[in-house]
Amino acid sequence: MTARIFGRVAGSIGALFGASVLAFVFLRLAPSDPARLIVGEFAPEEAVEAQRRALGLHENIVVQYYRYMRDFLTGDWGFSYSTGTPVSSAIEARLPATIELSLYAFVLAFAAALILALLATYRRRPVVDGALRTVSFIGLGTPPFWLGLLLLVTLSGTGLFPGPEGRLQPDVAAPPNVTSLYTVDAVLAGQWHTLGDALWHMTLPAITLGLVPFAFLVRLLRANLLEVAREPFITFARSKGLSRWTAFRRHALPNAILPTVTAGGLVFAHLLAGSVLVERVFAWPGVGSLVVGGILQQDFAVVQAFILLGAASYVAMNAVVDVLYSAIDPRTRGGQGLQG
Amino acid sequence: MSAGEQVLSVSGLRTVFAARGGAVTAVRDVDLDVSPGEKVGIVGESGSGKSALALSILGLIEPPGRVVGGSVRLNGQELVGLGDRELGNVRGRDIGIVFQDPLTSLNPVKKIGTQLYEAIRRHHPRLRKHEVRRRALELLHDVEISSPERRLDDFPHHYSGGMRQRVLIAIALANRPAVLIADEPTTALDTTTQAHVLWLLDRLVTEHGTAVILITHNLGVVAEFCDSVHVMYAGRFVESASTPALFANQIHPYTEALLGSILRPDRLEEGPLAAIPGAPPDLADLPPGCPFEPRCAFGNGREICQTVRPEPVTLTGILHGSSEVECHFAEERAARGELAAERT
Repeated sequence: MTARIFGRVAGSIGALFGASVLAFVFLRLAPSDPARLIVGEFAPEEAVEAQRRALGLHENIVVQYYRYMRDFLTGDWGFSYSTGTPVSSAIEARLPATIELSLYAFVLAFAAALILALLATYRRRPVVDGALRTVSFIGLGTPPFWLGLLLLVTLSGTGLFPGPEGRLQPDVAAPPNVTSLYTVDAVLAGQWHTLGDALWHMTLPAITLGLVPFAFLVRLLRANLLEVAREPFITFARSKGLSRWTAFRRHALPNAILPTVTAGGLVFAHLLAGSVLVERVFAWPGVGSLVVGGILQQDFAVVQAFILLGAASYVAMNAVVDVLYSAIDPRTRGGQGLQG
Repeated sequence: MSAGEQVLSVSGLRTVFAARGGAVTAVRDVDLDVSPGEKVGIVGESGSGKSALALSILGLIEPPGRVVGGSVRLNGQELVGLGDRELGNVRGRDIGIVFQDPLTSLNPVKKIGTQLYEAIRRHHPRLRKHEVRRRALELLHDVEISSPERRLDDFPHHYSGGMRQRVLIAIALANRPAVLIADEPTTALDTTTQAHVLWLLDRLVTEHGTAVILITHNLGVVAEFCDSVHVMYAGRFVESASTPALFANQIHPYTEALLGSILRPDRLEEGPLAAIPGAPPDLADLPPGCPFEPRCAFGNGREICQTVRPEPVTLTGILHGSSEVECHFAEERAARGELAAERT
């Protein structure tokens, strides 16, 4: 057990190291000069050189990497010249919007996947099942930014949903800040109009962001449910007198949901990567659009910090999933009894 | 016997599974009467329809399967055609079932206690928590699980195969049903465990006066346990008799072949064990005559066997009573048996 934990920690550190090196090297290979970008197109060469020195770009790349990582680990993530603030405060300001959107996208995806998978498997419904498989197939193959544009053109064009204007309508003020999640803050402050507006603005981006995780989860749940429903313990449970639904709810559902927990890491990765493009499409003021801006303006510090934080949270997420899974599945807990 | 004496009375039960290219009739118009406390054996090869019959009686046939006809009366109540909820009131209270595989019959992620409580609570919703627990402890004690207080919170994987099978029995008998169906209850267990589980089952059903339908392919188990036997072939009972009569006469050629394929120490010198040639018939495409004809050593290609489906014949006055047999040559074979009996 100790060896396993040690192995996992070592693996996580290795993954983070790899991600940091890749991010660093690739961005340095980009054919542009951040010093030139900062001082401006018409600045004299000496000014550029001075800026380069100030940024430490004259050092060799290993030294640059070492300095960057040392600063990163002490909380200094560099200066974002595209926003004019330190990277850490730029990300901090944008993070709540991304978290709120991802959370809703996830809840939406999971709830829809669960309900539809149940409908398709609880009784034999070949038509529903076939339709669901088609939807899931299309969902997995649909690029989120394209779906986002499609929804904007069709739904917000007709006025049903707001256009790409961010988290709230321009004339609606943000609720008093407690958690920075507008929906939660609006509830806490009792501002129901603001809550409605926030939800209304979130619907299309959340659908767009949630589609791939939904398609993925619905497949997984459907397959799990079909498998568990065939187990003799379901028939045995019904032989006790439980109705079809009760047997399904008590014995098939928990067993089928269990394996989806392990897919949490994958879903999280989808949300993280998806947020970059989806936020751009809907002008959502989150980390994703910050990163897109960073890429377009060659703001290295922002992009690097995003890649590193993404990798770190992905690794952390998987560790949490591991712990969670062994906590909820009795079979992976210790304590072997009689076998035979 | 009049229907009033029967705790379970099945008549003309027919179960069909829809399949690609036609329907498979797994249970063909089966009649079965079980008296209170009686132990009835059903023997047959895999695929003869034994398990389909058990599930049909309980109304647990799942699509693409369907009970298309006949009647199942339990304590006089008709079960065929009842809704899921009404059937649920009967299942687990008046009739219980134990399945073959104790490893897959318990939910691996639920505690043994939870799975036991569920069976008790379903039919005694008013019981308080500690009463349900006490009843569960009694049940585990009955099936000889040692220190049951400690084992209620265990998960199935903490139990051995034999223990799990005993838990299944405890659950099936939780509400003292009038009938217990045991579908190959010992097949997945090793031989010593088998004997113990069977002995335990015998003791419990005798104590409670529970009627048992024991489904097995093991004639040794039948000889030891059952009062009467039905030999099932291709969805029909081809021979039904009391256990002594069946073992004495074996009128249907299939029964004879089945007994001939058992290993018996006193007959080791007669040479290799006889096997029944061929395989059970395709239930979707039964031959027009006797379903056993293609494999029958006795019929040997006689025209009547190939073209006419045999009707059940009741034979009385044979050794140890009477027998009902579906064979065109039942009388002839019975007479042959009597001659043999007279000679000895």
